[in-house]
This record gives sequence, structure tokens and C-alpha cells, in this order.
Amino acid sequence: MKTSSSHRSFRRLGAVLATAGLLVSACGGSDDNEADSEPAAESSEPAAEPAAEPAEEDTLGETETEVTLPPDDDADSIFGGTLRYGLEADVNGLNPSSSALAASGLMMANAVFDTLAVYDENGVSTPHLAESFTPNDTLTTWTVKLREGITFHDGTPLNAEAVLVNFNAQRGDPLVGLAIMPFFPADETAAVAVDDLTIEFNVNFPIADFGSLVTGQLGMVASPTWIAAAKEDPTLNQAPVGTGAFVFDSRSEDSVTRFVRNEDWWGGDVYLDAVEFYPVTDGDDRNNLLFNGDLDALHTTNQASILDLLDTDDYQNIIDDTGEESYAMMNTAIPPFDDIRARQALAYATPIEEYVELIGLGVSRRATQRFTPESINYNPDLVQVGNDPDTAVGLVAEYCAERGEETNPLLGTTTCTDGKINIELQWSGPSVVQTRIAELLDEAWSVGFNVTFQELPQDGHVLQTAIGQYNVNTWRQFGAVDVWSDNVWLLCATINPAGLSLNWPRNCDEERDALLFQATAMSDLEARAEVLKQAEALINQAFTYVFFTHTTWVNSFADNVRGVCDHTSPEGVKMRCAVSGRTWLSKVWIE
Amino acid sequence: MNYWVQRLTASIMLLLAVSMLTFGAMNLLGDPLFNILGPAAADTKPESLEKVAAAKELYHLDRPLPERYVRWLGDMVTGDFGVQFSSTGQPPVSDLVVERFPRSLTLLVMAQLLASMIAIPWALITAARANRPADRISTINSFLLIAMPNFALAVILKYIFGIKLGWFPLTFKATDPWLTRIYQTFLPALTIALPAAAVYQRLLRTDLITTLQEDFILMARSKGVSRRRVLLRHALRPSLFSFITVFGINTGALIGGSLIVESIFRIPGLGSAIVEAILREDFPVVLAIVMIITTAFVIVNVVVDIVYTLIDPRVRR
Amino acid sequence: MSDTITKRLGPLFWLAVGWLAIVSLLALFAPWLPIKDPDSYFLVRGERPPYSPSGTHWFGTDQDARDMFARIIYGARVSLVIGFVAIAFGMVVGGTAGIVAGYLRGRTDKVVSFIFIVFLSFPSLVLAILITALLDRGLVTIALTLGVLAVAPVGRLARATTLAYADREFVTAARAIGAGDRRIIVRELLPNVVIPMGALALLGMAVAIVAEGGLAFLGLSVEKGPTWGKLILIGAGSRELEKSPWIAFGPIIVLFLTVLALNYAGDRIRSYYDVREIGL
Repeated sequence: MKTSSSHRSFRRLGAVLATAGLLVSACGGSDDNEADSEPAAESSEPAAEPAAEPAEEDTLGETETEVTLPPDDDADSIFGGTLRYGLEADVNGLNPSSSALAASGLMMANAVFDTLAVYDENGVSTPHLAESFTPNDTLTTWTVKLREGITFHDGTPLNAEAVLVNFNAQRGDPLVGLAIMPFFPADETAAVAVDDLTIEFNVNFPIADFGSLVTGQLGMVASPTWIAAAKEDPTLNQAPVGTGAFVFDSRSEDSVTRFVRNEDWWGGDVYLDAVEFYPVTDGDDRNNLLFNGDLDALHTTNQASILDLLDTDDYQNIIDDTGEESYAMMNTAIPPFDDIRARQALAYATPIEEYVELIGLGVSRRATQRFTPESINYNPDLVQVGNDPDTAVGLVAEYCAERGEETNPLLGTTTCTDGKINIELQWSGPSVVQTRIAELLDEAWSVGFNVTFQELPQDGHVLQTAIGQYNVNTWRQFGAVDVWSDNVWLLCATINPAGLSLNWPRNCDEERDALLFQATAMSDLEARAEVLKQAEALINQAFTYVFFTHTTWVNSFADNVRGVCDHTSPEGVKMRCAVSGRTWLSKVWIE
Repeated sequence: MNYWVQRLTASIMLLLAVSMLTFGAMNLLGDPLFNILGPAAADTKPESLEKVAAAKELYHLDRPLPERYVRWLGDMVTGDFGVQFSSTGQPPVSDLVVERFPRSLTLLVMAQLLASMIAIPWALITAARANRPADRISTINSFLLIAMPNFALAVILKYIFGIKLGWFPLTFKATDPWLTRIYQTFLPALTIALPAAAVYQRLLRTDLITTLQEDFILMARSKGVSRRRVLLRHALRPSLFSFITVFGINTGALIGGSLIVESIFRIPGLGSAIVEAILREDFPVVLAIVMIITTAFVIVNVVVDIVYTLIDPRVRR
Repeated sequence: MSDTITKRLGPLFWLAVGWLAIVSLLALFAPWLPIKDPDSYFLVRGERPPYSPSGTHWFGTDQDARDMFARIIYGARVSLVIGFVAIAFGMVVGGTAGIVAGYLRGRTDKVVSFIFIVFLSFPSLVLAILITALLDRGLVTIALTLGVLAVAPVGRLARATTLAYADREFVTAARAIGAGDRRIIVRELLPNVVIPMGALALLGMAVAIVAEGGLAFLGLSVEKGPTWGKLILIGAGSRELEKSPWIAFGPIIVLFLTVLALNYAGDRIRSYYDVREIGL
């Protein structure tokens, strides 16, 4: 089928594109996109944007598959068919106000819920379920107006009251609430209904793009009737009711969750009869199911699986590494990492090159900061130190000579033994890859550190990290599309010495805070980038994070799946195609 | 009759002891609050503390251990396994059990069927050729199979039949039609069945050889009944007696082994459920599954006993 | 005397013992052997690991370019220690309880036997998972957990054997001349119980080594350092099996041969001393 040359050209191009940053942005169509316009007008024109062609179009453009594509503007979306989608994991509930939704959960939630806002291709929010977002002069009060005439799947009307119910349910949830608390005052002034379709949100600090806060789980609006019912009968958390393009049909945990077409979706025609989500935890198994035709689509961050996906030309791959970064993170609240020399030593000792080679497999790029080189916020002057054991040993000696008799409260030992710093490395498992990472780090860190291992189930890992019971751990975060949402992980205000801190390393820097707040209030992206670069430099200097790689998300679709990136806001603004492993299926159809 | 009353009492005592042990171990070693509340369980803010108190009350975690045990026991006897420990309120434990139990049961039944289908002919052939080369080779084979750890056998079978030959799928899809799922269950079932078959064969062979030397067999042979006929008609039936015993006892051991096999072949059965539940410290789920496994074990043993009595009137008590 | 033992136990027995000796010695002296560092990354520039078996890496390398041969030998250290400690614990605790119960009979016997039955009907792997998941996953915890699981089967055998001997003439005779319980147990019963227990110890060690592998497959084996179970697990993914089967098969073969040798040696000793299959 495929010649080796086309194969190679694809991979080379893929590599170029991979370095081109936000691959997802240009995906899909070219021109005018009205939500209710004929989908034919939206179907893709690969030749139109050759420069920024994403890998998805690349597979279509570079191989024979393209030949089978109907001529562009005549392509009619076909109604019918069921899309089977392979997820990384299952969730234990699909309630946006009480379930912690990661990529897999958000992918499913996207089908059944709509968010108040969505990201456009530039990573700026644009209204979706809401009609408009209007700030006051100080950018601390945002008036959100909802669209008229939208109802939930159960017939409940979407109104200000419904949004408030969702907002308060989320704030009241111990887990989901954590993500909201930093932004809003604790009392009921946070959100007030002005009239039937208008809500006023008050925030703690000036925010230039409030809408981006409600593009993800926090922006999903569920039926208030259902939320109330689910409080009484938690089993209903498995059967979500939203306004989305698909209506919940059935769910069998760890097996399949099925949604069927919403015949009168407010956003226009939905082409698929149904979507079915299959959690397949093993990346290779998920790939095999796709290759055997048992799945039509999947998402993955498994580098080995990504290599396999890129190896075949039969799939449309949306590649995105602008999202989270993988890194090691140190707790600066307790010895030894309350001392910057210990942190520096660990950073210098870290085998970043080996990490990129063995774990990144040439798929995930080395990271030096939160941003990829293509981002306007990227600070080219920053270096992530590593692979320098000699410097590390020197710093360790200095530290141990001065502070080696103190106690590491976590281990209950002295901070140093035999001239090496005692630390505990914590990670989330059981996972073969995570264990390999721990062993890789340990091997290199052992020049200056005695490393104790602590593998915890994911929940426990998050808890211990949140309450500061760790020395160093491996973590994956940052990379919010709107940048400022990442502030919760960085601000002094989110450090809580006695309880939960969202600033996991508990590293406070007033100067950095000032810059982050300043950036949050800026709408001029170019000017904001300069501020963010300064903030990034301060993060780098604090040595609280040792950045490894930019996480690569790939959403892969069989070549008969169309309209993957055709979703738009009601005003016709083209939406960002994929956000950290989730895509939207409302405009997808099967050829 | 007295014997059966005694037997029943012992079984119930056993179940009580096992449940107490599990209940005690889980509650002493683990902290379920985190699963119910998430990180807020460790928070010191007043609203979090309130939630902790509320959750403790809801799940009766503020009550003393014996009281909670009795409460749980009362519910369980009436078929109510309670709800899973979580803030999201996952389905009741019984939902999970109803969904998962058939998969584990299918796997086990299939494994035992396969094991018997392999073991009986195998034993007949080897017994007929006792101590001849074929029998010796077979003895070595069964010894090798018994020594083979189930996870290693799983990897080998997966490699040969799943990857090299590609005869069987490597994934289990709970939503596939029934027959397809049986097909998907074949490799894991074979993993459990092969060592079991070796055990059964070894036993049955020894038994058959002993039976074959008994007078009535020699008599039949001298009357000119063919060897094959003697084996099938006269020798096999009495030998099945001990076969059933081991078959029953072995079922218990196989349940344990199937935990690992389920997890390797990713069959979402009780095995993977209990492992996940233990890691999440979801006590009600763990307890439910332990009780199901132990009850199955006890029932199998009693059934073996009954079959014993029916087959061989001499052991009637 | 030694000639007859050789004859009766058979050459295969000595082959098995030889294998066990080799594995144990390699494990014991691993740090001083001229083998590669098990934790080093032997990356070759421009070539992505895993590397297949070759002159440099006899058993190949894993995905991280670590030498499988060295890792298997170092894995033996952990796996054998777990097997040994587990069964030793089972022997001491279970053996004592079993002999005492079998000797004293009556109420003690009833209680001890019931405890044994509870443990035997408990899905043992579940118990192991419970303990390792809720406590920690250090070498000692895991070895002792498996040791606890060994108590009931060992104890049952010890009890049954004691029962068989407790009424024999030499015990009655000892009691007649006024020997105390302790003396009878230690001097008269123990020597007779030791041999069947020894055979069981070999089999039990095999079981413990396999159990470690099982725990590894559930992600619950020792956290740090290679074990046979962990080595197999790392190579057991579909992708690894397809592209680099040596990662899984090296440790599988070594593990299998070791378990086989333990089983065979135990079996031979048992039949050599004509030990009945009590409780096995």
C-alpha cells in the first residue's frame, strides 16, 4: 500500500510539524463556519493552509488516502454510524460538580455537556453556551449572559439559576472546589443571578479572559434537576444530563459508555447516531484495537504507542504537546529541599538526556519551562540544568557540611548520611513506566542522594503531595491553554501550611506573584508574553521543578472519520481542535 | 444428620472469622476517609472539618469497630453490600458484583471444563500405557506444567497464541457478544486450565493404575473385554471419585490464581475489581468480594462432601 | 551410605541441587562477580534500546539498556531471600503451632486447627495484597507476609505428622519414664517431623518465589531493586513481547528452572523418606 518514501516523507514532515508547536490549531476547515451552516462548507481543504498543516491533514495530504476524499465543497456530511473511541482510563462518575475529570472523563463529558466558553484557535476564550462575557472596568466583575431557549436533555431550561446550582455544587465539592476556590470570594457574592439569563461573577483579582476559566470542567453546565437527584441517589452520577450534542444512553463501568445523538441540539445537526467510549488502559492494546478496526478513534500519551501510530499512514493524528509538562517537583517546606543548594544539586544530578531518550522515545520533546519553543511566551534564555553530576556532588557536600545534622521530617532521619542527602521519591503507580522513571532518576541521583522509594496509588499520591508529605515526586501539570489558570499552582496565596496547598512545592515568591497577576489582567498577548517570560525566569531560578519533557497528546482517528476539527462556536468562531487529549465529536461524521 | 449440622456450623464460623479478619485488617490499616472526601480529608479548614465529620457519620466511621462490623454484617446477610466508599457515590457494591461476577465465573467454569477435557483423556491414555515411554514423557510434562507459575504461563501463551500466531485477541471487551467473549476468554482460561489439568491427570492416572490392578478389572480382562472398554467402562467410574474431590478442592486455589490471570489478560472481573478496591481502600468492595470468594470456597467443599456421600455410600456418616 | 543416597535420589536430583546451588552462589556473590552493573544504562548512541542478546549482553537488555543477565542475578537475591525468609517464618511459627496442637490435642488443637482452616480458606493472594497495599512494600514486609501465608499449610502438615507419631511406642515410652512435654516434643517428635517439613520447605520456597512474581504482576512487589517477578512484568506488555521477547523470557526461564528444581528436589526427598502426602 504505502511506499517507503511516502512513509518517510510523512514522518519527516511530522517531525517538522511536531516542532511547529500547536499542531492542532490549523486542523480541519478553511473558511466560514456557521454552526448551522451546511457542513459541506466546513469540510477540510488540505491545500488551503499548507504551512501550518497539522499531522492529521498530513496523513490525508501525503498519501493515497487523500485520493479517496470527495472534492471538498461537495462533501456532504453523512448522518449515521457509531464512533467507538478508546480512552486511557475510566472515571468513577461523570458529574462535573463532583467527579474529578481528567482527560478521559473530560472527553466523555464533552459529548454530553457544553461549556460556557470554548477556546478559539489562538487559545483565547470565545462564548459557547454563554452568549457573552462582559467585564467591569477593573476586570473583577464579569457579567455572563446565557443564550435563550436552550434546554437540558431532561427538559429543564438553561437559565441563570441552573448555572448557579452548578457553580455552587462545584464549590461545595471537596475536590472540585479546590480548583475554584482561589479565584472567587468564599461567600455568596462570588456568583449572583441578575436576571433569568444573566449571572454576575466576582473574582478575587483582575482577570482579562474570564471565559477561559469556564472552558473545561468548571464551565460544564449540568441539569440542576439531575444534580439535585444525583445528590440523593449517587448512582445517577453515572448517567449525566447536560445540554450537549449527545444524550447519555448507557454505561457499564470499565467497559463502555454510550451516548446517542441529541436530535435537537442547540448547536445544530449532530451526524453520528452514537458515540461509545471504551476505557483501555494499556496503550498498546488500545492501538491494536484501533488497528484491528475495533475502535475508530483513541487518545494517548504513551510514547511507544505514538511511535506506532505515526508509523502507519492510515490514521489521522492530531498531535499536541503544548499541554502538560512532565517534571520532578520538590517540597520546599521541609528539609532538605527547603535549601536551594539541595534543589540545585538534584537538578544538576538529573539524567534529563536519558529521560528524553528512554522515556520520551524521540516523541516527547525536552522541556525547559512551561512553554514550547513555538509559544510567544517561550523564554529562549532559560536552561534546564541536568546531567552534571560533578556540580551536584559539590553542592551536596556544601549542603551536608552545613545542614547535614538536621532532620528530614518525612524519613525521620538526618538530612545527610555518609555525605549524601536522604530523600524520598514519591510517584503514582503501579505503572511500569513510572517505575522505570523512578529507577532512572535514582540511578543518577545516587551520586549525591540516598533515595527511598514511595509508590502510591494516584489518589494517595495527590493527597500526600497536597498536604506536603513528600520530598520530591514526579508530576505532570501546567500547560493550561489560557496560561493564567496555571497560577493556582504557583501563587503564594495557595500555600496552606496546615492543610492543603495547591502550590505543591510550597514555594512563595512575591515578585513572581506580582508578575503573574499582572499577566492575568493583560489582554495584549504580545505584551503579556514579556511579563510571562520574566515570571518563567523566576520559576527557573527557584529550582523547585526539574522539567523533563512536554507531554505529547495524540488523538488518532481512522481515515474514514471526518469533521474531527470542524466544531465552531455559535458565532462561527473556529474552535481549538484538541485540548490536552480531548476533542469534540459534535461535528464528526463517518464516511 | 448431626454431621451436616456440625458442618454447617463450622462453615458459618469460618465465614464469620474470615469477614472479621478482613474487616479488622482493613479498618486498622487503612483510612477510608480520603476516598470519600479526597484531599479535603486531610485539610484543616473549618468547612473541610465539617465535611469530615459529616462523612464519618454517614459511613458510621465515628462508631466503634465492633458496632460497624455488626451493622455491616446485618446488611450483608440481607444481601446489601452497601455503597462504595467515594464522594461521587459510585453504584452500590452489588451492582459492581452483578456486573463482574459472571465474567469471573465464566473464566473459572471454562478453565475447569478445559482442564477436565484435557485431563481425563490424558489420564486414560497414560494409565493404559503406564510406565512406558509415552507415560514417562507425560509424567515429565505434567511435572513441568505444575511447576509453571501462572503469570509465566500467561506470558508464554500470550506470546505464542496471541502475538506470534495471532489466533486469539489480546483484549477483552465486555460489550462484545457472548460468543466473542467466550473466545476472548479462551487464553486466560487455558492459562488456568493447563496446570490444573496436570494436577488432575497425575491424580487420575495413579488412581486408574490402582483400579486397573483390582480383581474385578482383572476378571473383566480375563473374560476378554477389550482394554479400552475396561478402561472406560469399569476403571474410570470408580476413579472419578477422587477426581471430584481434587476438582473441588482445587477450585479454591484456582480462584486465587485467576486474580493474576484476570489482571494480565485485563478481564474486568472480580479479580481486577478487588485489586483496585484494595488500592483505593474501598472497604465495602473488598469485603464483598472476599466474602463471595470464601463463600464459594465453602460451598464447593460442602458440595464435594455431598457428592462424596452420594457416590460412595461407605462414607455416609 | 552416601552411595545409596546418590542412587536412590537419582542424578536429576543432583542436577536440581546443582542448579539451586549455582543460582544461590551467583546471587550471594553477585557484587564480586565480573558481571555488569545491574542498574547502569548501557546506551549506545543512535540505537534505541532494548538491545537483543549479544556477546556484550548475554541475555540482552531491557527498554532502558540495562543488562538483563546482571539484573536476573540481582533479582535472584531478592526473590531467593523472599522465598527463604517466608518459608523459614512459616516453619518456625506454623511448625511450632502444628506440633504443639498435634501433641496436646483437645481444645488447643481445635483452636489452632480452626485458625489454620480460616487461613487456608482465605484467598491467600487477597491477604497478601491487603497487607502489602496497606502497609508498605519493603523486602521484610513482603517476605513476612508470604511467611504468614505459609503458616497454615506448614502447620497443618506438622500437626498431621505429629498426630501420626504421638501415639507411637517411643513417645509413650518416653512419657512412661517421666519425660516432660517439652522434652518429648523436642527430643522425640521434632526429629520425625523435620524431614517431611524439609521436603515441604523446598516446595514452599518455590511457592513463595512464585507468589512474589504474582504480587509483582499486581504492582505490589518490593519497591526498590529488581526481582524476577518485576523483570518479567517489564517485558510482558504486548509491545515488548512482540519486539523484544528476551526481556520477559530470560527471567521466565531462570524462574521456571529454579521453581522446577525446588519442586523436584522436594518431591524426591519426600518419596525418598517415604513421606506420605499429608496435607499437601
